[in-house]
Amino acid sequence: MATAPGLAPAEAYVDTLAREQTSLWGDAWRRLRRNRLALAAAIFLVLLILVAIVGQFWTPYSYFAEGIAPIYQGPTAQHLLGIDDLGRDILSRIMLGAQVSLKVGIGTQIIVIAVGVVVGLLAGFYRGFVDTVISTVINIFYGIPDLLVALVLVLLLGRSLGIIIFAIAFTQWMNMARLVRGQALALREREFVEAARAGGAKANRIIFRHILPNALGPIIVQATFGVPQAILFEAFLSFLGLGVPPPTPSWGAMAADGFHAIRISPHIVLAPAIALSLTLMAFNFLGDGLRDALDPRQKR
Amino acid sequence: MTAPILQVKDLKTQFFTDDGVVQAVDGVSLDLYPGETLGIVGESGCGKSVTALSILRLIQDPGRIVAGQILFKGSDIVTMSGEEVREIRGKDIAMIFQDPLSSLNPVLTVGFQIEEAMEAHEKVPEKVALSRAVQLLKQVRIPAAESRVNDYPHQFSGGMRQRAMIAMALANKPSILIADEPTTALDVTVQAQILELLRDLNHDLKTAIILITHNMGVVAGLCTRVLVMYAGRVVEQGPVEQIFKNPQHPYTWSLLQSIPRLDSDRHERLMSIEGLPPDLIKPPAGCRFNPRCRFRIDRCFHDDPALMDVGPDQEAACWVTMRRALSRNGEQRA
Repeated sequence: MATAPGLAPAEAYVDTLAREQTSLWGDAWRRLRRNRLALAAAIFLVLLILVAIVGQFWTPYSYFAEGIAPIYQGPTAQHLLGIDDLGRDILSRIMLGAQVSLKVGIGTQIIVIAVGVVVGLLAGFYRGFVDTVISTVINIFYGIPDLLVALVLVLLLGRSLGIIIFAIAFTQWMNMARLVRGQALALREREFVEAARAGGAKANRIIFRHILPNALGPIIVQATFGVPQAILFEAFLSFLGLGVPPPTPSWGAMAADGFHAIRISPHIVLAPAIALSLTLMAFNFLGDGLRDALDPRQKR
Repeated sequence: MTAPILQVKDLKTQFFTDDGVVQAVDGVSLDLYPGETLGIVGESGCGKSVTALSILRLIQDPGRIVAGQILFKGSDIVTMSGEEVREIRGKDIAMIFQDPLSSLNPVLTVGFQIEEAMEAHEKVPEKVALSRAVQLLKQVRIPAAESRVNDYPHQFSGGMRQRAMIAMALANKPSILIADEPTTALDVTVQAQILELLRDLNHDLKTAIILITHNMGVVAGLCTRVLVMYAGRVVEQGPVEQIFKNPQHPYTWSLLQSIPRLDSDRHERLMSIEGLPPDLIKPPAGCRFNPRCRFRIDRCFHDDPALMDVGPDQEAACWVTMRRALSRNGEQRA
């Protein structure tokens, strides 16, 4: 090397300059990390997922064994969150309940994304007749009360986790479809779409390679906000006795179990209620953080 | 002379807006010969870009090509099926746009976008596509192309972005490149580099170029022939040197007069063309330039001039023409 000792070659310097500018996703990640609340929420959710996974293989006690301790017993060293009205260990049931909640929350969003994104992209990209049909269907779905649709579906198709996930997604996909439609309507007018068209790109390539990646940020944010909605909806259905069939514990059903004894032993309601609240809060904070991090106008 | 590679005949493109029908392109004809560089000049809103977009049938609602033919290699683009036109776009006729930043997808790497341009027309294995993308970036003189290929558009400078756009346009070795104001969004030193690049590509690859610009200087530097458009029509066309030396349409003459010159007196005011281009929903009767023309005669107000021969290979749509106008006024042009 002809460079003077102690002096980095110019290319290396240029290289580091270039490295500092990362991709949009790298930028977003950096901004997210600086948001303490969102970061705390993310950590909480990672822990929750771990708890749910552990719960699959190990719980302190069996989640369905009844009468392992006096019923309505408050928190003790052996039973950290106490005992419910049938004498079951609440901590074990909370761990299993986390699984149900996460499955519902994430499961619905997978369906919502699959349906909502495709439908929204088609409506926004093709406009005209396609859009009219899709938008009409969306508006009809908005017109039907969520709870009614979910109740009817659960009653007709049966009470199982899969059906509940499907039923909740059924009431939620329109939000995503409408969001993506708006994104697609705006993005299709962008010059890079015209440039792609001028380059002979087929419609499906324009939609999925050029429009979709630009809409991913809002889609992720919307899905993150959709998770707590779905979890709450499931808890509500379970509270009404229409959720996952017992003895599988769901936070909503657990709260319902303790509801009649709320004055004498509030811990039976409080434990699932607090777990639910923390989870909903965490998803909402994370969603907020993601929205700020993914918003390109917020370069800080 | 060889046959033209692209022939536009009496093209009419209109926009059906709520306020009325905008006659954006009104009877434009042009011939493009293999390997030549044809300039289309005119003010903003005179139909240059719409002409270019019409050639690739990229006019979107509420616009429509209402009449005319666009003959490419003997077949008419206007009446082709959508799939046939798509095959031509990017493969035979490529296009680059004014603002390279907004023409590149911000969330995809430059290399990926070049590969996409290839993939639109043929299946290329990933490895081959990548090496071809690097090759293309080298061809448009992007330094360190091997690493730059993985950069995002925002990591490129303005000039490099336009080079990347050109690389994308060249991905399928088109026989025609339509450049719509390719240097307008760039600063002057970079403009020159891009123009030089286009000239070299035209020379080396024999790609015919249609260069759309409002800058007469750009035309002078690059084009062999020029077409002057005003209010959706061709008002003058001919070889560049002739048009510059001997413009016959008063509009062309005014455009040339409005270029600042180094050798002119600093205190002399630049000539500007009074007024604005006409409303294309209700264009003026007679010659469309008559409200702004300083040489108009009575005939111009009711009789619409067609293109007439005004010199070897040169045509102008004017009843007066500069030759007569200047001799009438006894003026002598420097």
